[in-house]
Amino acid sequence: METDLRSLDNEERQSRFALRTLLETSKMLVESQDPDFVLNNLLLITMGKLLVTRGIILIQNGSENSYRVSKIKGQNSLGEEDLITLPVDESILKKSVIQGTDHPELVEELGLSEEAILFNLRTTNHHLGFLCLGAKGNKQPLAHSELEFIESLAIISSVAIANSRMFQELRLINRKLDRKVHDLHTLLELSKDFNLMVDQDEIARTFKFAMLGQMLIRTFFFALDIDDERSLISSSGLKEKPSQEELKKLYELDDVFYCNEEHDCPFLDKNNIRLVIALRFQNEKIGVVGVGAPANKEEYGSEEVNFLQSLGNLALLAIQKTMLLEERIENKRMEEELELARTIQEGLFPSPVPEISGFDLKATNISSRQVGGDYFDVVETPDGGYILAIADVTGKGVPASLLMANLQSMLHALAPIDITLSAATDSINNIIHHNTPADKFITFFWGKISNCGTYFEYVNAGHNNPLLFREGEKEPVELDKGGVILGAMESIMPYESDTIELKKNDVLVLYTDGVTESMNPDKNEEYGEERLETCIKNNLTKSSQEIMDAVIEDIKDYSNDTQYDDITMLVIKVS
Amino acid sequence: MKNFSIATRQNQNVSILDISGELDAHTASQLENALKSLIDNENYSIVVNCSGLDYIASAGLGVFMAYIEDVRSLGGDIKLTDMNDRVYNVFDLLGFPTLYDILDSEQEALHSFND
Repeated sequence: METDLRSLDNEERQSRFALRTLLETSKMLVESQDPDFVLNNLLLITMGKLLVTRGIILIQNGSENSYRVSKIKGQNSLGEEDLITLPVDESILKKSVIQGTDHPELVEELGLSEEAILFNLRTTNHHLGFLCLGAKGNKQPLAHSELEFIESLAIISSVAIANSRMFQELRLINRKLDRKVHDLHTLLELSKDFNLMVDQDEIARTFKFAMLGQMLIRTFFFALDIDDERSLISSSGLKEKPSQEELKKLYELDDVFYCNEEHDCPFLDKNNIRLVIALRFQNEKIGVVGVGAPANKEEYGSEEVNFLQSLGNLALLAIQKTMLLEERIENKRMEEELELARTIQEGLFPSPVPEISGFDLKATNISSRQVGGDYFDVVETPDGGYILAIADVTGKGVPASLLMANLQSMLHALAPIDITLSAATDSINNIIHHNTPADKFITFFWGKISNCGTYFEYVNAGHNNPLLFREGEKEPVELDKGGVILGAMESIMPYESDTIELKKNDVLVLYTDGVTESMNPDKNEEYGEERLETCIKNNLTKSSQEIMDAVIEDIKDYSNDTQYDDITMLVIKVS
Repeated sequence: MKNFSIATRQNQNVSILDISGELDAHTASQLENALKSLIDNENYSIVVNCSGLDYIASAGLGVFMAYIEDVRSLGGDIKLTDMNDRVYNVFDLLGFPTLYDILDSEQEALHSFND
């Protein structure tokens, strides 16, 4: 009885010990998130508990029969991390305890004797591997309680491993997610930042730094094609800049180009560029971005390519926006300049056009959008005569109107002085020639109606010949006496003048080339002098205003109302 | 103007940059200029004390990338210290700890330079 009691007591103590070990071990294992720790403890505890000298933990490695030696204790030809293939089939996987005596071929592979026992490490759904224990030191088979104990421990360990695996997987997913969120955040923030930037260099620089930081790279370049001019607008870590030829090659690469593919652009290899990406705007390849190797890994994946493209496109759009803005500012400036030119020009025309007794005088200037350099004037002289003038300055806009203003002031200064038209023209020519660049000229015609209203003396300095229509004469007289255009050269030969007698119903028409050079809609034929003469002839009996209106109407018809140059006309009819 | 400031101190042969506020696309150039001028003046042992740094964007990280190799090739280093968790998280996400010495305190960084 005594012995029985003692042995019972002993058994109970053993089972209490086993329970406590189980409890403590399970607590430790479940709390651990390190599979390595779990496996090592599982092996050491079971070997210690059973006094076994050889133990292996095998973990299934991807495919069904392949196992990785995760832990190994005791003498064995296998080593940790070895991969082995085991004859494991469904019948084995179904069991939780596999006796070596039932599967000698299996334990032999593991370098263990037939007394060895394998415990299936598995959860409800997954087989993870085996805990393999060699023969006990005393060669005794495992007691039932021992088997149960190890089985329980194997189950707890399997759960712990599965948990820690899941935890690690989650942590990995979480980190990937964090990274994605960060990528998106960067894109969002930079799109806001770019929006606030109006300087192309600042955008390019910000793009560069964002790329370096985000992709963990040192080498970077960003090439841009502006109006067919290609250049690097920012770079970092380049050993050498690309030549024009190399730039051209960069634009010929595929839109996503990995530089280990074949290419003939030495610049890429010299600078260890790994990936080149094209940036398109309205389907045109505007930008090319290249990046060196990332410092923390070797290759670029599709996620990096996507990010690079997204950020690159943001930068490209921002740069396009700044260029459009500059263009708009430039346009606005030009608009203002033209407005100024128009104001100057309008100030120079006589307003109202003076009336001359005995004559029906009408004049008009229709300014084109670009504001040409047309000018006309009617000035009364101290002796009671009248000067009529018409001119066309080369160029357009403000420069043309300033030169025109010069001419106007000279004309007004000379009008009261008692010198001949010819001598006055000489002076004007010399002043213009000395004070203006070589490419600035003025075609100029002026004439003076004598105080009695009978004679008209004129000088034509290279201007379109005014036309004098006379009753009873079929063709108009062209007033072509004078000399070269103003400003071309110094007056060597004096300007010629001519005087004609004015008769009742004579019609004199002065005009600028905007009239005769109006174009047809196909832009291949000018309105021309012939059409002008015909139109005037058909309206000779009418008033100056009506003649002028008829010509303007005819031009509008001919050009389909499209005007390229200033149109200026003076019509004077002798009453 | 954005809330960002940068100041330079010298501790024996080590230059210390105190950066604080928000380091982003708009303020990155200030950090760039500070690093450039240290390098121009042949100060290659650099500690960046981030204790006042509230936020860092990729462009800010990029500045460090752009200069680290230059500094190291000249026998120096850039060490970062005293980051708050949020800032460290960004550095960590992008993989900086594998490339840079990121230390808990300025003192540690000074020691490691003087070893």
